[in-house]
Amino acid sequence: MSEKPSVLVIGGGIAGIQASLDLGGRGFQVYLLEETPTIGGRMAQLDKTFPTMDCSICILAPKMMECYRHPNIKLLTYCELKEIKGSVGNFQVKILQKPRYVNETKCTGCGACAEHCPIEVPNEFDMGLGMRKAIYMPMPQAVPRCMTVDKENCIDCKLCIKMCRAGAVDFQQEPRDIDLNVSAIIIATGFNQYDPSEILEYGYKRHRNILTALEFERWVCASGPVGGHLVRPADGGIPKKIAFIQCVGSRGLKFGTPFCSSVCCMYATKEALIIREHAPEVQVYIFYNELRAFGKGFQEFVNRARDEWGVKYVRSRPGEIREDPNTRSLTIWYDDTLTREIKSLSDVDLVVLCPALIPRESNKKLAEIIGIELDDCGFFKVTHPLLAPVDSTIQGIYVCGYCQSPKDIPDSVTQASAAAARAAETLALAQIQRVGGS
Amino acid sequence: MSENEPRIVGFLCNWCGYAGADLAGTSRLSYPTNIRIIRVMCSGRVEPAFILNAFENGADGVLVAGCHPGDCHYRSGNQHAEKRIEKTKKVLDLLGIGSDRLRLEWISAAEGEKFASVIKDFTEKLRGKGPSPLRKGVEAATVQHNAIESIHDILKRTKALYCQECGKCSSSCPITRLDPSYSPRLAVEKALLGLEDAVLTDKGLWSCLTCYLCRQRCPLDIEYDELIRTCRAKSVVKGITGNCAHEGVLLSLSRLMAREETIQNRLYWVPQEVEIAKTGEVLYFVGCLPYFNVVFDDIGVENIEIAQSMLRVLNAAGIKPVLLENERCCGHDLSFSGDLGSFEKLAKMNLTAIKKSGVSKVVTTCPECYRTLKLDYAEYFGKPKFEVLHASEFLTDLIAYGKIKFNGRIDKKVSYQDPCRLGRHMGVYDPPRKVITSIPGVELVEMERNREDALCCGVSAWMNCSRHSKQMQIERLTEAKGTTADLLVTACPKCQIHLNCTMSEKLPVKKEDVAIETCDLSVLVARAMNLTPNSVEMTKK
Repeated sequence: MSEKPSVLVIGGGIAGIQASLDLGGRGFQVYLLEETPTIGGRMAQLDKTFPTMDCSICILAPKMMECYRHPNIKLLTYCELKEIKGSVGNFQVKILQKPRYVNETKCTGCGACAEHCPIEVPNEFDMGLGMRKAIYMPMPQAVPRCMTVDKENCIDCKLCIKMCRAGAVDFQQEPRDIDLNVSAIIIATGFNQYDPSEILEYGYKRHRNILTALEFERWVCASGPVGGHLVRPADGGIPKKIAFIQCVGSRGLKFGTPFCSSVCCMYATKEALIIREHAPEVQVYIFYNELRAFGKGFQEFVNRARDEWGVKYVRSRPGEIREDPNTRSLTIWYDDTLTREIKSLSDVDLVVLCPALIPRESNKKLAEIIGIELDDCGFFKVTHPLLAPVDSTIQGIYVCGYCQSPKDIPDSVTQASAAAARAAETLALAQIQRVGGS
Repeated sequence: MSENEPRIVGFLCNWCGYAGADLAGTSRLSYPTNIRIIRVMCSGRVEPAFILNAFENGADGVLVAGCHPGDCHYRSGNQHAEKRIEKTKKVLDLLGIGSDRLRLEWISAAEGEKFASVIKDFTEKLRGKGPSPLRKGVEAATVQHNAIESIHDILKRTKALYCQECGKCSSSCPITRLDPSYSPRLAVEKALLGLEDAVLTDKGLWSCLTCYLCRQRCPLDIEYDELIRTCRAKSVVKGITGNCAHEGVLLSLSRLMAREETIQNRLYWVPQEVEIAKTGEVLYFVGCLPYFNVVFDDIGVENIEIAQSMLRVLNAAGIKPVLLENERCCGHDLSFSGDLGSFEKLAKMNLTAIKKSGVSKVVTTCPECYRTLKLDYAEYFGKPKFEVLHASEFLTDLIAYGKIKFNGRIDKKVSYQDPCRLGRHMGVYDPPRKVITSIPGVELVEMERNREDALCCGVSAWMNCSRHSKQMQIERLTEAKGTTADLLVTACPKCQIHLNCTMSEKLPVKKEDVAIETCDLSVLVARAMNLTPNSVEMTKK
């Protein structure tokens, strides 16, 4: 074993990317595992970021590319974790690489195959709002820049093989087992969105002019399903009134989660600003429960949205949303809790629900494979919430990002660097032992 | 006056009856001193509730005296009185008090002698009958339940301490939309601020329909219905009660049934061809239908048909149901109007009777009985040994086992009103729909607000039937009409009563916009099985 000590990073979102870059930069071998065909994670789906209003993919894509090009980072995309054995300094990891049916080294990502593919299915990257082909790249900035065949929907017409001038499409590919031996592991599996359709009174999935926040991010994104034009999902009409509803499923004891997702107040403000920038004539309402603007520059950001951009903040969790069956416009019934008036806001063209962000369901399986503990909400436990905030319940395994606790992008990046630093200790120790032993 | 002397309460109309009594006095006619007179402006003012109240408080007889037909100073008040007394007599028979303890007499201002002779005669008759059975328990019945749980404990138990004051409840509440002075949030907030008096004296406490819509939607799962129920009990201890519909006659009935001395005569309606049993597997808990049938005979609902249909359906499915001869009100309305003492008495008596019958299943056609038997009895007295099923659940099972054969067809578009107690309180949404859709020919069309979102019929526990209730009922009926359904099926006799009551009244909307035929689920099933005779024969026992 003459190679340098290595580390496995699970999850290719911003936290995983940051941790990989940190450790790669320190000269350790990094394996970055991602289950989808591209790294980038949730941040890649966002249109902009708060409170700086940066274009999200514009600041993320360079980091994704850096990962791809980094001599010390090996990307394992479209992979599944099968087994982890061993202990700190010597974890034996079994990974299954699913076949893309496209040769990664040959594919140029020109997209000629997708152009001719006859099958269209909802694009997961666009939260199912837009369509993709059965051979596809989830987003234009995908890393690695390589097409993937979705075998579940493929009809084996093999048109893509004909169209590919690089000869990259290869239907003979088989699933590949990858065995690794790593000294440390970092978990950064991120979050999922709570499905608000069980909150019946809001009518999500029944009323067509209701989107969730992540769907809305894709909806207004220039690379999204409608090219960033602000339109009503039901009929493509031009909206005049848009409302955001906070705490949908979060901070509850019946549905969803008991915790605060910590980012919704701010991203709703950001999305409200995006709307006002797109179309200043649109009235934007944010129905909030408690406005949690706790970070640096956050309150100022909210003040600006309210004072300079005319976003209307209403302290209320609306009771119900009803749809006019003829116009498909929505009426929101709410109690303006500051004035104690029961009101209704009618002719709303689009309602954006800000659902609870929840740890991934797959964390349970992962925790089982690895043998570490989750808390009641499904977040990974740490050994001490104050003094060891990245150490999982097993030595040599570290956690960072939303999968540890609710947090925003800067906090995820900070924690990722922290986890990388803690992992580096373990890796350095492994290196010393190796040098000493050889 | 000795203890055994009959005590008569007399409601005398100001213009005739009272003037007649006056004349008797000034003419120095002697008559027994057994009567206590209450002057009312018109005999038509005498509510059945007044009469029942007199009996509740130990009267042996009640006399109502008004002007001769055609002489009423308000044209038709006495005719109104006649109808009401007729109704009340039937109720007294049902209760086992006896209709002969109530008398209506026409006594004009010139008939002093008639007044004296009526009193003489009535007193004699009552002497012959002996004291009212209810005389004994008056003292015991007035002992109040000590609702000792503190407001803080109630808040803790109902999870109201978690309230985030988000306003989801208040913007959902159908009452708050019409009357902003009440809101579930305000009630909770006042309680949280420790303003106990403000909570317990708040009129709004009695406006709540306990329809569960706020609790359904509350993200913190605060048990508003329970909060309201227990706060009402505390409020009653303070001597405050809410406005009752029909002056509280229905609550009076429940209280009378809570008296051990009451031996009812309530099975008059059982059709002759129907077979019932004293012991067996399945008990049919009839609820207050025999009483409703009398009290609400003027709004076009034949309530007892529900019970009759249920019996016929059960017979057709090969079941001989047990009926309790002296079944009492389940106590739901008393429990939700703050009279926990009477509720507990009713519960104990019903539980004993059900236990004695040895049944393993209790079926109800009323969702309030269903909730009370299944949930509240278990809460107060531990899990009972029998299973409680709503008719819709039991019928679904019978249909699934092929015990029910639909010989007929009902070619109708049908919509379904979810009763609050059945739906949101107990989570029974699918069984009634399954029953409806299994009937040949029926097409089920849902209202816009259905299942968890359904709108309450506007009144609960016979409290606060107000203009807001009417507005809600009009809204609901309009919604039902909007589905283009021909028939609105309910699974709760009370929903049917409330909706029909509105339809029978003068309304600010066009009749055709709200008028829709209504029908109870079990009646619908009986019709589809060709079990309902065209004329329901009432066999009096």
